[in-house]
Amino acid sequence: MPPLDRYLSNLAKLLPADQREDILRELSEDIRSEFEDKESELGRPLTEAEQLAVLKRRGNPLQVAAGYTPNQGTLAFGPQIIGPVLFPFYVRVLTFNLGLTFLIVGAIFAAVSLAGQPIHFGDLFSSIILQLFIQLTAVTVIFALVEKHLSRQPHDWSKEDFEKNLKAAIHSRIQKNIQTGPKEVSRFDSMAVLIASSVALLWMQSIWTNQYLIFGPAALLIALAPIWHVVYLPTVFIMLVTIFRAGVNIARPDWVRFRDVVSVVIDAASLAIVYTLMFAHTWVVPADAAASTSQHVASVVNQWAPLAISASAVIALAQAIKNLIRLYKNWRWHPSSQQPSH
Amino acid sequence: MTHSQDNLNLFQNLCLELRRGSLILAVLACLRSEQYGYTLRKALGDRGLDIEEGTLYPLLRRLETQGLLLSEWREAEKRNKRFYRLSPLGEEILAKLLAEWKAIDASLTEIVKG
Repeated sequence: MPPLDRYLSNLAKLLPADQREDILRELSEDIRSEFEDKESELGRPLTEAEQLAVLKRRGNPLQVAAGYTPNQGTLAFGPQIIGPVLFPFYVRVLTFNLGLTFLIVGAIFAAVSLAGQPIHFGDLFSSIILQLFIQLTAVTVIFALVEKHLSRQPHDWSKEDFEKNLKAAIHSRIQKNIQTGPKEVSRFDSMAVLIASSVALLWMQSIWTNQYLIFGPAALLIALAPIWHVVYLPTVFIMLVTIFRAGVNIARPDWVRFRDVVSVVIDAASLAIVYTLMFAHTWVVPADAAASTSQHVASVVNQWAPLAISASAVIALAQAIKNLIRLYKNWRWHPSSQQPSH
Repeated sequence: MTHSQDNLNLFQNLCLELRRGSLILAVLACLRSEQYGYTLRKALGDRGLDIEEGTLYPLLRRLETQGLLLSEWREAEKRNKRFYRLSPLGEEILAKLLAEWKAIDASLTEIVKG
């Protein structure tokens, strides 16, 4: 692929979807004009190295795309770690992960408190700080690596064949009913899902070796019941499929039907897991079977757990219905799909 | 980072701030006659106001969104190019901005003279 096409196709991934074609057309025209000017000065076509020099001077695609992205903040400690293009997705992933974690920690502490055990502010505070530190570090490191990767010079960029994808996207945008047809899958949404799921997967792995991460100081009193061992592998599988789905949609945002179908399959599997959990009866066991305090705390947590699992079931069901409706609608919009069957 | 490097960075940041407002004025003034991005950039550069593409094109989009510019895709030199020109609102705002600019220039000249 010529350097210009590679540059533009990499840039395309980073631009706001609603302006993408327009910006690319204009930039492409501008760069070609500069190439032509230089060629007429030299009296010969530009070599690939000379074309790369022009592109390098214009800045890497991430910097260029940042100019077209509404600035919602950046993360910098001296040098910029996460730029304006990725920052909104960084905040979204962090908020989701922290929200979920704090919800779990809060529920555990509430249960312990209901069991009549004293809650020390120091314990609660240290649990929250620990979760904050883990999540913040993991998510920031992943996003910083993505930013670093995307900030490489144009000639170092991935040589994947994005050109075909870009042309297909532009073609479908222009030719089809843009107003009402399904939108392509946002690459950054997929990236956010990929990172959030990866961090959640790592967190889940860590829980098995250190249950303090989920129970805080209550880990001395209670432990996860065997039912969690039963659902562990299917949950890991669901997360891996989610990561795979997001990875595929980063490379192929036009595979909308793939996203829709896989999401519905994931929803069905998630509902099956929630169903299994609902009828488990025991979700935590005493860490020390002989200690009456442990038994009491475990019994209170088990008493309240069905409420939390029922709430999860309602959320999972709503999500499944939403995705099923989306699949149905998108399917109807493409009765003779142009997408490959996956 | 050395002291001289700090000073250089400070100077560059201040220059950027100083140029930011002036560039908008220059772009609006240049677009009293219709131009496309590449010729506009060259026209500004030829008059000593170099502007990077990464700054110019987002600026043109912003000014168009604000209703100060109009644009259309048209064929020129055997290729499709996007031509920009001032909108009626742009002309009105430009006249006001130029008056403001002249007032600032006069004040600054007085201040600098001491």
